[in-house]
Amino acid sequence: MSNIQETSGPGGASETTTVVSPTASPETEQKLKAAKSRTGKARLINFLEAYALLVLLALIAVFFCFWSETSSTFPTLANMRILLASQAVIGVISLGLLLPLLCQEFDLSVGNIAGLAAIMVAASVSESGNVLAAVALALTIGLVIGGVNALIVTRLHVNGVIATLGMSTILGGIILQRTGGLAPASNIPQSLTNFGTGLVAGVPVIFITLLVIAAITYFVLSHTSLGRQIYAVGSNMEAAKLVGLRTDGLRAATFVAAGLLCGLGGLLYVSRAGGASPNVGATFTLPAFAAAFLSAASVRPGRFNVWGTIIAVYFLAVLNNGLNLSGVDPYVNDYVNGGALIAGVALATVLYRRRTT
Amino acid sequence: MNEHMRSESASAEPGSRVALAAEDISKTYGATRALDEVSLEVSSGAIHGLMGGNGSGKSTFIKMLAGVVTPDQGRLALQGEWIEARSHTPARAKASGLHFVHQQNSTFPDLTVAENLALGRGFESTTLKSIDWKAQKARSRRVLDRFEIDVAADTHMVRLSPAAQMMVAIARALQDQDETDERGVLVLDEPTASLPKHEVDVLLTALRRYAADGQTIIYVSHRLEEVTAIADEVTVLRNGRVASRLVGAEISHDSLVAGITGSVAAKQAGTVPRGSGVVDSRVHLSHVAGFRETALTLRRPSLTEVDDETLLLRAGEIVGVAGLLGSGRSRLLKQIFGAVPRDDLEVTLNSGPVPPSDVRAAMKKGIAFVPENRLREAALPELSIAENLSVTCLSDHSRAGWIKPSRERKAAQRLIKEFGVRAPSASAPLTALSGGNQQKVILARWLQRRPTVLLLDEPTQGVDIGARNEIHELVRAAAAAGTAVLVVSSDFGELASLAHRAVVMSGSEIVDSIDGPLTEDILNDVVYAQEKSL
Repeated sequence: MSNIQETSGPGGASETTTVVSPTASPETEQKLKAAKSRTGKARLINFLEAYALLVLLALIAVFFCFWSETSSTFPTLANMRILLASQAVIGVISLGLLLPLLCQEFDLSVGNIAGLAAIMVAASVSESGNVLAAVALALTIGLVIGGVNALIVTRLHVNGVIATLGMSTILGGIILQRTGGLAPASNIPQSLTNFGTGLVAGVPVIFITLLVIAAITYFVLSHTSLGRQIYAVGSNMEAAKLVGLRTDGLRAATFVAAGLLCGLGGLLYVSRAGGASPNVGATFTLPAFAAAFLSAASVRPGRFNVWGTIIAVYFLAVLNNGLNLSGVDPYVNDYVNGGALIAGVALATVLYRRRTT
Repeated sequence: MNEHMRSESASAEPGSRVALAAEDISKTYGATRALDEVSLEVSSGAIHGLMGGNGSGKSTFIKMLAGVVTPDQGRLALQGEWIEARSHTPARAKASGLHFVHQQNSTFPDLTVAENLALGRGFESTTLKSIDWKAQKARSRRVLDRFEIDVAADTHMVRLSPAAQMMVAIARALQDQDETDERGVLVLDEPTASLPKHEVDVLLTALRRYAADGQTIIYVSHRLEEVTAIADEVTVLRNGRVASRLVGAEISHDSLVAGITGSVAAKQAGTVPRGSGVVDSRVHLSHVAGFRETALTLRRPSLTEVDDETLLLRAGEIVGVAGLLGSGRSRLLKQIFGAVPRDDLEVTLNSGPVPPSDVRAAMKKGIAFVPENRLREAALPELSIAENLSVTCLSDHSRAGWIKPSRERKAAQRLIKEFGVRAPSASAPLTALSGGNQQKVILARWLQRRPTVLLLDEPTQGVDIGARNEIHELVRAAAAAGTAVLVVSSDFGELASLAHRAVVMSGSEIVDSIDGPLTEDILNDVVYAQEKSL
């Protein structure tokens, strides 16, 4: 605060105000130079911070390409397609989870919303063969459950973790009731399975779908007033209220959008797997949380974000895929997944503290 | 017990009747002399009032006693032994029998009274180290009986009245005292700040009883009425110095006000410059100064005694809201803004009435609000400076819901320059800035909307002196541009230098108004006069 005298009052602010750091002292020339070289270095550090996970992803991929255990199986076109396509469903669900998480709300029901949507879609489409009706059904299921979650959290003021844990449990019950615990015999129309397994220019359609959904989510969050308000609520709910944001409405919107994306995730699952099993929903929840949390370790360090989530999904996928191909015992995957999650979130926390203090 | 006369400075061995003495305590923070050779003596078994306005040094003195603040020089006598005040520590304060009870509720509302009492000292345990609840309850019962607190030991704290909660906190601090013969000193820091009137009496009665039993009490308060009611002796601090020492009958409302405000002659309450007589001439003056257009009117129809128009704010004027802690100043601002229920308050702008409990409507009508607690109520810490600025104007920066990044960035850069924010860049997170610069960002966030009415709650709290002056300039500039400003500050010096006139609050009501020119002394006089007339 030693340069208070130089830049006094609203009109008297000099041009340097936008350049110098808050601690700059009167020897402006020298300091400016120092500041510039500092920003050069800072930019590199910022880049590394932002893309560390992506770099790590590339390094792991290169490793599996040359490691003797996996060099014949990992870097094949078929494996790459499986890798990209198999994670699309988790990716969409992770994006759904990301939205309430931005408002500091946990949605534990994401997996079972997708699971229920998958079961219902599989049953409906097997019976009627009407794909459009199946799409509408998946989206409706997501919207309705997301809406109920939103009402419980914002109107009944139940903690989001508890509300969605309860909802998830109920959904699990519905799934069990509808299926009797057995995968329903399914007769999925080809048009739907073609979508799930098809390629465009050699790239799985379902992966492209994920990228499109991610792009839409990204633009809504980063370039619209709505997205900005969601970030503001997540940053400081009390302050958001006092600048006139409809905090309850925004939180509700994220739950509804999460439900919608999870419904879509269920539909994509049916299209890719050609059916649905009653247990599938539960297996989505934890990986989705891992990816969403890890997103704070990349692209926008310290903030949950869309592209960070996508990178995290594929970071974990490459890791698991490579390990599976190398033939290690399955428990190794658990060690690696758990360790990666903890290390990633710890990294994000450190980055966040560095940036804000 | 209050017949002792004492010399101006306690340099000799402290007498046996002195429970605590301090000599020549000084403490400097940067350029501010918070304590300037403060000496005082607290008689054993007396209730010693420690008074002073904001910034008088009483908080620093209490923190020094607690060993939290290390003074630059001075000596302390605790239990009859002089020590260098610099070597005083929290552990030493505890060992020498100083017990502190602060205004903030230091008890745990969800635990029982017995648990709260035990948390201060450890639970009674059985030989197996599990908690012996029976013994615990019996002990709690004894403590409650001794302090004459009429509650059951297994009542949850939250169900107690505020006064009873404070008494439990006091009992917790003092519960071990009778086991040693040494009587310690109980230091109460604004114990009544959050108590309603009738509860205050309950607490004061209890304190008198404890003192009669020989308990020495230092009673820190800004409430004249309470101090005159219970103190045996009083030390008044002003600007870090001892302004007066009063004993027994010398303690009166007028002598305390004289000490706190430094007025040469103690004013009779009746001759204190109350607003009513001066209003007319000042209203006339206001017209001359150009404050003609009414910006905001507050009405409280249920108030029948005075005319129901409680506050009128005109475009371009800065009105201060003066009052003591807990007088409802901050709440008034939030009521106007619609962030808390209005009760029967009616808010009207020149553009029409402002509906209650609707922040968005208030904003649309042209009200802006900079809250007191920046971190909790204003800052969006993870968001960039540009994002923090644009959050009140998102629709201006976007078309059909899409934000135009260049427009947002340019607006941020313009505001950063205009408001003299020292920032590395508009995209840096808000937390990269110093407190003063953060506050300028919050101010800019609202002033860019060109509000009709700007509500400021403690606008320069925790801000360094340079930024403080800059913020004052920014507020003056906004007023000059036609914004009506209502500013709350505990710092009467700030109000005096910033505001054209002031209103005084007490007990959640506007009770008086002072028409300029304001000085710190006038504000002190009127505010403390209100305390007496309550």
